[in-house]
Amino acid sequence: MSATQIAGRMAGVDAGAPIRQSSLWQDAWRRYLRNRGAVAAGAVFLLILLWCIVAPLVSPHDPNHVDFVNAYQGPSWSHPFGTDQFGRDLFTRAALGGRISIGIGFGATLAILGIGVVYGAVSGFVGGKLDNALMRFLDALYGLPYLPFAILALAIVGTVNFWTMVVALSIASWFITARVVRGQIITLKENDYVRAAKAVGVRWYGILGRHLLPNTLGVLVITIFLELPGVILGEAFLSFLGLGINPPDASWGSMAQDGRDAYRAHPHIIIIPSLAIASLVLCANFIADGLRDALDPRTKET
Amino acid sequence: MAAYIIRRLIWTVPVVLLVIFMTFMLMKQIEGNPFRKSERAVPAAVQMNLERKFSLDRPWYVQYGNYVKGVGTGDLGPSLVLRDRTVNDVVAEQFPRSIELGLLAFGWAVLLGVPAGVLAALKPNSRVDYGAMFFSNVGFALPNFLVATLLIYFVSVKWGLLPTSGWTTWQHKILPSFTLGLVPMAYFARLVRGTMLETLQQDYVRTAKAKGLRWRRIVTVHVLRNSLIPVVTAAAPLLGYIITGSFIVENIFAVPGIGRYYVTAVSARDYSVVMGLTVLLSIIVIVANLVVDILYTVLDPRTREART
Repeated sequence: MSATQIAGRMAGVDAGAPIRQSSLWQDAWRRYLRNRGAVAAGAVFLLILLWCIVAPLVSPHDPNHVDFVNAYQGPSWSHPFGTDQFGRDLFTRAALGGRISIGIGFGATLAILGIGVVYGAVSGFVGGKLDNALMRFLDALYGLPYLPFAILALAIVGTVNFWTMVVALSIASWFITARVVRGQIITLKENDYVRAAKAVGVRWYGILGRHLLPNTLGVLVITIFLELPGVILGEAFLSFLGLGINPPDASWGSMAQDGRDAYRAHPHIIIIPSLAIASLVLCANFIADGLRDALDPRTKET
Repeated sequence: MAAYIIRRLIWTVPVVLLVIFMTFMLMKQIEGNPFRKSERAVPAAVQMNLERKFSLDRPWYVQYGNYVKGVGTGDLGPSLVLRDRTVNDVVAEQFPRSIELGLLAFGWAVLLGVPAGVLAALKPNSRVDYGAMFFSNVGFALPNFLVATLLIYFVSVKWGLLPTSGWTTWQHKILPSFTLGLVPMAYFARLVRGTMLETLQQDYVRTAKAKGLRWRRIVTVHVLRNSLIPVVTAAAPLLGYIITGSFIVENIFAVPGIGRYYVTAVSARDYSVVMGLTVLLSIIVIVANLVVDILYTVLDPRTREART
């Protein structure tokens, strides 16, 4: 009997009552769409991404073109965000800065995820004494501020570029992710299908790679948007302290630093990149909340 | 419970050693040593003496051992840039200001954040709730350098109410502490709202209601007290927010504290100060975690069984 025949028979049994089949992700997607705040946040998030990608390509202004005659201009039709102290168009520069800020943000988030998954999976999967030791270690380090270590890391490497920023921002930021992954693995390990897999002789890497890690995917997607605000702000803080990306490249943080000296006369130079950071962070927080409600049905009622 | 507390205490030691070790090894990665920089070229004999004085001619594990011994006895070593000054001097001078700033920020957070969370939870989905949560979300998202700049721009420059920077009179302390307190405030508001809503669903609250207790009494005696337990455990992330924020806030408002000095020391390549401050901040966080974990076990009997 072929698969279609079986399906046909089963359909026959349930005739009149069509069963809507849907995967976890389809369910989650539907739940997410019901959350208006999260949908709006997602839309704005995508719009910001789109602006960062497209604006520099179509802009008539060269982002590094110095034009002192037009320095410190407020917002206008030809310069929607105005110009900075060198007369450079802030609309284009802010989009380029967004590429760097968001790029570093996602890079560091993925690094945090990578470290966290390895640490958490080893801890949760091996269990026993090793788990105990690794977790006591995390208990003690919980809440360790990442900024001093990021500054230290940058001071040691000596050069600031995309990759050193990613390393600096992830070096002391992965503790929570590791703990979350470990918790998830421990819970999953107790499931009957994992026991069954073990019973039929599936090797440890099969269980880990096939049953445990794929099931942490939902948590990881949430974690991306939980960690993103922190690293985006972290990059901005480092740049604002003068320890970030070097000119002529700029991130939102270093653009804000540019505007720091002229804030009395020309506040728009610091406000625009700061608001870009704030919008992105706000959206990411809402998306994380929406994803949590959508992917973890247990909490959706509250 | 005693067993858990003792185990937790014992675990703190290797973690502190490891953190010092990692910081130490990070610092070792910096090329050469502080006395081989070209800008302070000294005769070979002097250099040898300097290296001997600071044990830089010994193997790394001896240096590490010495450093740990120093930290254990509360001696973070000499500054490499400031003559005649030790890291301890720097800490003694700058740290009290940072602590004061942090405590004042925490004060703002408790003063405004907790009531906002309580009011929001008492009337969920009301205007008060939405307003409080809106401010909480915005408080989380706004970078504190923008908040600081706007406050200086309006309060100090335009309206001339408070000084723009410095750390002398109480007027100087309002804006920096408020800016630094904004994130903890947002955090408290959200956290207290969440735990309050959860507590309000509990059976004993319903029982209290059924008994005919006054609502005000139920809220203060039954709900608020139990809702504030999780707030205690929030101390660790809060401390993290406050330390991170202090780097920026002290920088903008020219508060002569540790956060600002850290950045100065990095630029000046005063590595012993940088290392000392990093170790100090880490130990503070580790000890705070320890205290919180123990406090939590004492406050919430339910966690005792699970943890021992």
